[in-house]
Amino acid sequence: MFKNYEANGLFDEVFSPSGQPRPHYAPLVNRLKAAGYPAFERRRRMSDVLFRNQGITFTVYNDARGVEKIFPFDLVPRIVPADEWDAIEHGLIQRITALNLFCQDIYHGQHILKERVIPPELIYGAKMFRREMFGVNVQRDIYIHICGTDLIRDKEGRYYVLEDNARTPSGVSYVLENRVVMKRVFPSLFSEYRVRAIEDYPYNLLQCLKHVSPHHADEPSVAILTPGVYNSAYFEHSFLARQMGIELVEGRDLLVDKGFLYMRTTAGLRRVDVLYRRVDDDFLDPLCFRPDSALGVPGLMNAYRCGNLALANAVGTGVADDKAIYPFVPDMIKFYLGQDAILPNIPTYICAREADRQYVLEHLHELVVKSTNESGGYGMLMGHQAAQQEREEFAAKIKDDPRNFIAQPVVQLSQHPSLVEDHFEGRRVDLRPYILYGQKVIVMPGGLTRVALRSGSLVVNSSQGGGSKDTWVLEEEMVG
Amino acid sequence: MGIASPPLPSSARPMLARDADAMYWMARYVERAEHVARLLLVNANVLIDMGDLAPAMVARQWQSILTILRLAELPEANGDISIRVAQHLTIDADNPNSIVNCITRARENARGIRENISAEMWEHLNALYWSLRAEDAPARFEESPDSVWRSVMTGSMLFQGLTDQTLAHDQRWLFAQLGKYLERIDVTCRIIQTKFDILKASEQMLENTLRNIHWMAVLRSCCAIEAYRRNHVGDMDPFRVAGFLILEPDFPRSVRFSVRSALASITAIRSGTRGGVIDPAERILGRLDAQLEYAEIGEIVAEGLGNYLQRIQSAGHDAALAVQQSYFLL
Repeated sequence: MFKNYEANGLFDEVFSPSGQPRPHYAPLVNRLKAAGYPAFERRRRMSDVLFRNQGITFTVYNDARGVEKIFPFDLVPRIVPADEWDAIEHGLIQRITALNLFCQDIYHGQHILKERVIPPELIYGAKMFRREMFGVNVQRDIYIHICGTDLIRDKEGRYYVLEDNARTPSGVSYVLENRVVMKRVFPSLFSEYRVRAIEDYPYNLLQCLKHVSPHHADEPSVAILTPGVYNSAYFEHSFLARQMGIELVEGRDLLVDKGFLYMRTTAGLRRVDVLYRRVDDDFLDPLCFRPDSALGVPGLMNAYRCGNLALANAVGTGVADDKAIYPFVPDMIKFYLGQDAILPNIPTYICAREADRQYVLEHLHELVVKSTNESGGYGMLMGHQAAQQEREEFAAKIKDDPRNFIAQPVVQLSQHPSLVEDHFEGRRVDLRPYILYGQKVIVMPGGLTRVALRSGSLVVNSSQGGGSKDTWVLEEEMVG
Repeated sequence: MGIASPPLPSSARPMLARDADAMYWMARYVERAEHVARLLLVNANVLIDMGDLAPAMVARQWQSILTILRLAELPEANGDISIRVAQHLTIDADNPNSIVNCITRARENARGIRENISAEMWEHLNALYWSLRAEDAPARFEESPDSVWRSVMTGSMLFQGLTDQTLAHDQRWLFAQLGKYLERIDVTCRIIQTKFDILKASEQMLENTLRNIHWMAVLRSCCAIEAYRRNHVGDMDPFRVAGFLILEPDFPRSVRFSVRSALASITAIRSGTRGGVIDPAERILGRLDAQLEYAEIGEIVAEGLGNYLQRIQSAGHDAALAVQQSYFLL
């Protein structure tokens, strides 16, 4: 099944340049070879049925035919050795700590602007900077309770941070479900490894949410706010509510009275202390943000600012994952923690800067251009693959609104074998670990490995035809 | 607006009004799909027995199914009426009460409250949904309508079993019970009423054998043939059949049993959420329960069976509305 497997000039997660499996992959490769194609195909079909029957789906917006899709699952697990993970974990803890200090600072003293570490115009020009949050104290000074940070590896296998998702990162439910399905479909693969458990994530998340409950509550009442069943991540919202045993609410289930938030139950109104909201800032409160929002709750921001309600993540964290602010994260780490960043950034051109913009416009054919506030692979240009006309259109957009764009050199992403028809081929992967900031910072071992299932594609987003893999972080002692 | 009632004990943890609504309708639609499937199956089989003997009955029998399900008109089309009705009621996407649509709506409701139901319930309902929505579903239906109807009936029964065995019998379960039994009261009354009506109209046309076959079919439509035979040693008397289906206290598909179960559910819901005050739905169902408890089939027939059943159905509707107003529309 590995006959004709090619490295494609990329960093391969499984095989070293000599063509031999890396030590931590050797037992897996042997197992796969021994299993053979028919057995593998049977298991693949089994996993498809499991996913469908359990309704593990996501929703695609631009697809006129049916809205629910199964997130393609790739049965070959990705394995991360313990020492490699150690460095990643330290890097992520450092990063979320700095990002939280940054949010606190931006909405209070603004020392980082006064010291000219970050140009103030970039902050004030950020779409997700919330003036409404200025001077507001949030519970325990935590802004980013849940962060999903995207990591990629270059040709040498070095890890880089591609972006931070500090608003409402999704995907963690697939990580947990992938593991469940993997254990059911391919239990034998686990026998040769000691894989670190991830099943306590929902428990940790609940502790993290309870940690920020306003002080007046004895047993905090925690709920998840979802935009509803038609949201692309609805499965995840419902999954997490089930795993934590808390209510899944929509805007219409909630109301604010005298500065407190309540949900409508069969027994009347019941107070909510902590809301894990999976609704964007813009839609939270029609009295404060978009007046046409039907997803939010009028008066919610008032309850929040009174300190009677905690929101996770806090309002205004979008300023921290703005793609034009991203280049300054290493500077933030230096500024707030006095440390060098453990995980490096990708070099980034900020189109709002005259010199950078000039460079970007002249080198569009070799750069990736991204809009600063889009996610999910929408609103980006892969310069080296785009047609001349597409590039010209993008150039016009950049000139029109430079603050909205950044550009980065194309990073080739590492590849990992995926089953294609009856054999394995290399497909690009990234990695999104999930970090919880509560009483202490907890990084889930592993995370979501996304795969670009189309050959040669660099875009791994599920909305753009990506799939996912189970990700195994190994204990120190690799073999069980 | 009433604010923050005193905290209830955690055993009586209240549920979101919207979730209660979805729970109720999920159960109701599953129950409805089961009834539609059983009516079609029984009718198709009884016509195999009596079709040739009384050709005039065929169209009337199929029409009666439409009446039971409150569908006055069959869409214009050519072809055998039996096939058209069966298709219309099983896989027609334009008929809101077709089996496919009932299961779809049950599943849509379930999907909105997955955190309130068990994984087993969800997976079972989801698998049933996909089996009806599969690309080869119409072909399978054409080849063997029987097995599709049977799969829906067993699917519903299994779902109810899973609901009883995997869900805590708290408010969520109680709302599902309420939906299920209110639906059952309604459909059962309509089956009895419609069948009595056509039987009365064609009594002279039928010989004894056919009459018996017909009454057996009525009992089968309520899944009651075996229970009835044990109670009445096989004697097919129309009024005994009606009496059994309406008044039998121990049979889970009789009107009386369903009313009592709905009443028990609403009483438990009320005492868990409102304390001691009787609520409107409970009052309606309580009165109905008392009436049924002391009723006697001879008196019912003297009053007029149709009227009597009509009154029960209205009470059922009023109770459903009252539930909606007290618990879903806060």
